[in-house]
Amino acid sequence: MAKIRDMIPAFELLQPTSVEAALNLLDEHRGEAWVLAGGLDSFDWFKDRVKRPSVVVDLGGIAEMHGIREVTNGLEIGAMTTLTEVVRHARIRSEWSVVADAAEHVATPQIRNQGTLGGNVSQDTRCWYYRSGWPCYRAGGNTCYAAAPQAMNREHCIMGRSRCVAVNPSDTAPALIAVDAKMIVESSKGPKVYDAEDFFIGPAIDITRMTVMKERDLLTRIHIPSTWANAEFYYEKVRDRGAWDFQLVSVAAAFQKEGDRITAARIAVNGVAPYPVRVEAAERIVVGTTGDEATAAAAGEAAIEGARALRHNDYKIAMMRNLVRRAVRSVA
Amino acid sequence: MAEKLVGTDIAPPDLHAKITGRARYAEDFRAPGMVFAKLLLSPMPHARVRRVDARRALAMPGVIDILRADEVPSRDGPREACLTDYPRYEGEPILAVAAVDEETAAAAIEAIEIDFEPLPFVIDPLDSLRPGGPNAYVEGNQFSGQDGWSEFRWTAEDFAVIDAGGMPDPSCPVEWTKGDPDAAFAESALVLEETIVHQSLTHHPMEPRSNMAYWEGDRLFAFVSTQSTQQTKFALASALDMDPENITFVAEFCGGGFGSKISGTTVMQVPAIFSKKIGRPVMLRVTRYEENYIGRARPGFQSWLKMGFLPNGKCNAIDLIIVQESGPYGASDYATAGMIADLTYTPQNMRFRAVDMFTNTPPKAAQRGPGGAQIISMMEPILEKAARELGVDRLEMHRLNAPRGDVKFGPRDSTLTSVHAIEALERGAEMFDWPAKVALSGRRDGSRVTGVGIGLSPYTAGSRDRDGLMIIRPDGKLYVHQGIGNLGTHSIADTARPAAELLGLSWDDVVIVWGDSSKGMPRSTVQAGSQTTHAHTRANHAAGMDALQKVREVAAATMGGAPSAYRVDGGRVSGPGGTMTLGRVAERAIQMGGRYDGHVLPEDIHEQTIPAAQMLAGQGLMGVARDNYGGEGNVYSWVAGFALVELDEETGVVALKEYVGITDCGTVIHPRSLGAQVLGGSIQGMGMAMTQRWVFDPKWGVPFANRLYTARPPGMLDVPPDLKWDAVGIADPTTPVGAKGIGEPPVGAGAAALTCAVADAMGGRCLCRTPLTPDIILAELEGRTGVGRLEQHVG
Amino acid sequence: MEFWRRAANPWGQDVLIGVSWDLMWAAVVGAVIFLAGHAIWLRTRPAESHGTPAAAPPGIPERIERHSLAARIFHWTMSASMLVLLVTAFAPVMGWQFPWVTIHWIAGVVLIATVVYHVIHAIGWQDFWSMFQLGVGEGIATLRHVLSPKAPAPPKAGKYPFDHRMYHHVIVVVSLAAIVTGALMMVRIDTPFWTRNPYLFSDSVWGAMYVVHGLAGVSLILLVAAHIYFALRPEKHWMTWSMIRGWIDREHYLEHFDPAKWDVTEAGGGVSGAGGAGALADASPSARRDD
Repeated sequence: MAKIRDMIPAFELLQPTSVEAALNLLDEHRGEAWVLAGGLDSFDWFKDRVKRPSVVVDLGGIAEMHGIREVTNGLEIGAMTTLTEVVRHARIRSEWSVVADAAEHVATPQIRNQGTLGGNVSQDTRCWYYRSGWPCYRAGGNTCYAAAPQAMNREHCIMGRSRCVAVNPSDTAPALIAVDAKMIVESSKGPKVYDAEDFFIGPAIDITRMTVMKERDLLTRIHIPSTWANAEFYYEKVRDRGAWDFQLVSVAAAFQKEGDRITAARIAVNGVAPYPVRVEAAERIVVGTTGDEATAAAAGEAAIEGARALRHNDYKIAMMRNLVRRAVRSVA
Repeated sequence: MAEKLVGTDIAPPDLHAKITGRARYAEDFRAPGMVFAKLLLSPMPHARVRRVDARRALAMPGVIDILRADEVPSRDGPREACLTDYPRYEGEPILAVAAVDEETAAAAIEAIEIDFEPLPFVIDPLDSLRPGGPNAYVEGNQFSGQDGWSEFRWTAEDFAVIDAGGMPDPSCPVEWTKGDPDAAFAESALVLEETIVHQSLTHHPMEPRSNMAYWEGDRLFAFVSTQSTQQTKFALASALDMDPENITFVAEFCGGGFGSKISGTTVMQVPAIFSKKIGRPVMLRVTRYEENYIGRARPGFQSWLKMGFLPNGKCNAIDLIIVQESGPYGASDYATAGMIADLTYTPQNMRFRAVDMFTNTPPKAAQRGPGGAQIISMMEPILEKAARELGVDRLEMHRLNAPRGDVKFGPRDSTLTSVHAIEALERGAEMFDWPAKVALSGRRDGSRVTGVGIGLSPYTAGSRDRDGLMIIRPDGKLYVHQGIGNLGTHSIADTARPAAELLGLSWDDVVIVWGDSSKGMPRSTVQAGSQTTHAHTRANHAAGMDALQKVREVAAATMGGAPSAYRVDGGRVSGPGGTMTLGRVAERAIQMGGRYDGHVLPEDIHEQTIPAAQMLAGQGLMGVARDNYGGEGNVYSWVAGFALVELDEETGVVALKEYVGITDCGTVIHPRSLGAQVLGGSIQGMGMAMTQRWVFDPKWGVPFANRLYTARPPGMLDVPPDLKWDAVGIADPTTPVGAKGIGEPPVGAGAAALTCAVADAMGGRCLCRTPLTPDIILAELEGRTGVGRLEQHVG
Repeated sequence: MEFWRRAANPWGQDVLIGVSWDLMWAAVVGAVIFLAGHAIWLRTRPAESHGTPAAAPPGIPERIERHSLAARIFHWTMSASMLVLLVTAFAPVMGWQFPWVTIHWIAGVVLIATVVYHVIHAIGWQDFWSMFQLGVGEGIATLRHVLSPKAPAPPKAGKYPFDHRMYHHVIVVVSLAAIVTGALMMVRIDTPFWTRNPYLFSDSVWGAMYVVHGLAGVSLILLVAAHIYFALRPEKHWMTWSMIRGWIDREHYLEHFDPAKWDVTEAGGGVSGAGGAGALADASPSARRDD
């Protein structure tokens, strides 16, 4: 079949107004339905004619999935809340600034106005071999073109590979891990709650998915617990240009302190693996210290333990080490 | 009192249309019965179409017809056809399908069964130069009109030197020498040898090259996205082998071309030919994805450079070898690069060798500052490295080597009309506060290191001998007919200003007529090489002078007295016999006929201007003339860019903190537009040097970074908000208005200022490649595995 | 039902990329049907009589060695690796998702090692040709007997009855197909010893390899299921035990085997001269055994 791009094939658009209706539609159209949030990932797929669902379930009309609510133990963010709303939310800015900071690093203002937090964490990888519609493992084929010896894999992973070497592109994912967010995934079988770090899965588990969500699952809410409110946060995203760019490597970190001692830490890095990586080895090194330079250096080295470069991404090992080091250094 | 029009900010006439979305680009036109075409692009970098079965596609409801390669013009040799059965790059159009709507056409393309035979391909030109390497064409890797195809290779010994990191001494199809480089190197106090890789990158104009066409009898109506207009009409006529006067050519707006749409595009033939075949108007909307392939790209360079310097910092010898990645249909950037190296560093002794290698990558074409931008962004850091090693201030180094007015450059000792590069450097140094900034070089703030750099970039900026055509109508307004294109630079309006000023008109009384050949277009330049401002301020000045003379003569004939005694200002002509409005003058001119209203035309105007002038004859007082001002020497403009960056050694990220761009482009016609050109071009160059990239998979020979988000042209957050610019503002003495073009040189200046500043922040270490993305910088700083020294297309 | 998985390669050429996973389900269903069918069929048949036990030649020990310790270790190692390979291959497709690739290729390496060991051991130390007796007449008789209980029972076998030999041959072909293709596929994954290279062969060659590997894999579902089933059947327990304990008792030996065709050894003891090997030299290359 000759290839043609930039022309979205027709599909049936379904616009439920409740989670329950959406789940029913997903059950009803099992195997053929595509879940549409902000559309920034979806429409790229559609216009390339690589993904061609016959039915698209648009979550835009589900009021209960929009907005940020105060709950007893923190905040609950509807998955369809736009990134701009997250960026501007006063309490998120003051108490979980790492989340607002990460959301503000997504792409451009236009994309943040349209893109949702749920979509941002659920989006597919941007590996260009995969996005080009090549029959790679992730696409159900039997080759990883990005890991071939001569492949162009500057953006690909340095750890967590398993046949596929793509990386998770989400800016908010590491921040949500840093604040120990809980992801509420609903299906017709009922809701399930996942720790943010467990929400993302690697190709070793399932090479065709980026998250625990299977067909007919919906991420409906994200709960930000109070546990890490007002911690000391650090977020940094390294990218090739100042806007409209996915990360090369990003780091999000949260530190709790007593006096000048770190009592607890959560550090997550994205852009280095097919999933955002929580670097617990670094966290262990940091706890009990002041985050001094020696600790920061040790944490950086611990973070890259086991990292292995592809042809063009050796730099990421240094970049990851340095970002973790900077995150730790930031609390000293 | 006449309004001062040259040197002031005036809103261009298309401003409202653009900002309100009413501007009609090629794809906004519609015609009754119009159908849509879609292209089937080659999936392989080099192939032969073995079989096409379109029966299933043609049977689909709404599908009109298919257009194949054998139905469009083609020529032997490495020459592009708008459709081909022998694709030489991934994305080359094979065939087109027309249908009632685009979705049907797209579905029909997918329904076509097509079988390709893959052929050997070349992505990196060095592969083809190696003994036993592959060729981009079945027939060979070099072509000459006389001898046809041949294979050209460097020797194993050449590659042994290259692979060992040295500078080879290869034979090259292009070679020139001036002075005695070997003797000069022997006298040099410092000789630097560097290996250079400059990336190839796509143009990515905002508007893809969409176009529409239909026929009424033998008349073709073509709506095209193009930089030029009058010249594109002739290019289209030539491609279709038809009388240009049988084309009504419409190109009102162009959303950027940067050299990729100079005289239209190859693909503009498709709707014209297809609509003739099916008897219905055909619209071909080119998508961003397609634009990435069939749009053009800047050729990449792999290059070896040897530069010799005297103790005071003067460059006394250059030996430059360029291997150009030329795509399947060639490009000539390398030749300009050699000329510009000689012009910018005035070594007096230079050897230049080049080989342009066909490759199976999307076609190459001029991209803003073609050849110059590449070589300047690569050589300036080496000049600064020499300054550092010789202990010479870098500003002084640039000043010392920059050409003076008597410069002779290139193999034929070309000259310039004027050059004020040194003034640009000095003005820039003053605005940038070079002494204070250079003192910050190497300053550390945590992991961030400050670097400063200067890029001096020249480029051609003018041509002569075009025609101007304008009419004062009975409504008293001056209608300036422009054959030049409206490519977003404001030259469409700005080049009319000298004429309006000559006639003492306020800008409100000037109407720019452009974008539609049925309204009359004089012989014009192509909008390339930054010729337009120079060429058409001259041409319109000449036509304005003609109109002024005729106004005076009409006034004198009407009111008595000598024509020379009449003054034209404020929409009136006044003199000893009284005063009359220009509207009245226009009426009188029509009554007087002959040369006054265009029924008799000057004998020296170009034959292409005559039909347009004849079309307008009798509608008012006509100013029509050829640019006979003459002049010697090449017209070049200059930009000196000064950059201050902070390089984060822990991430490899470079943040531009300050930038100043100073131009020598003669008289300033439109300051605001000029500023946009100087800074916009500089930013484009910064993108070329730092963020933008194009990447090919070597196994499959196909490009990635096909989208704007992966190609990464720079955005507003990549530069500080307070970029500064200024102009030397010294008129070129060889042209009546004194203005030269400006589009090209800022690219090299912006790129080079950054490459120099990055090298400075790295303690003088020149990576000598673009783009300087964080990965490359960080890998270098950390001593980690980076890209191969000579690898092309890795981004 | 789909048989193949096809895809457009990066150049848009249609290539095979493997077998359809429908075949996996077909194999599972096929295995269940066969086993259930066999069980029912067996119930409908009259009780099997193996005829009069052969007159015991003198010197037949009480416990007759059937599988040496080395052979048993091989068998169980191979079985474990095969089971691991099947589970790691198919469970993720069936919905049980876990990081399977490393386990799969390590199990594959173990399988290759055991097979290499087995081939060397069988050629060098075992009665190699006893497994490769042709036995056409034996096969026809066995088939007749299976189809009709009234047909005379096939003649008693040597060490390996006809059905065992046939199973072995099929499993050899199928396993070798899986092993050879699997070993080549190892080039496509990173191991501590090399970096992957998916371009060693063209994508169509790789596609064919995946098809062979996949077909072998789904065949092994059937074969392994059948093997386990028969091993668990009560009337075969004595045989199954022999793969654990290494010996069978004299009773089963005489009931199921022809002493003329199988020189026996006392479990844990020396050779017992049953004689007669020479008489079968043409049909049984067991005469060539050299241990």
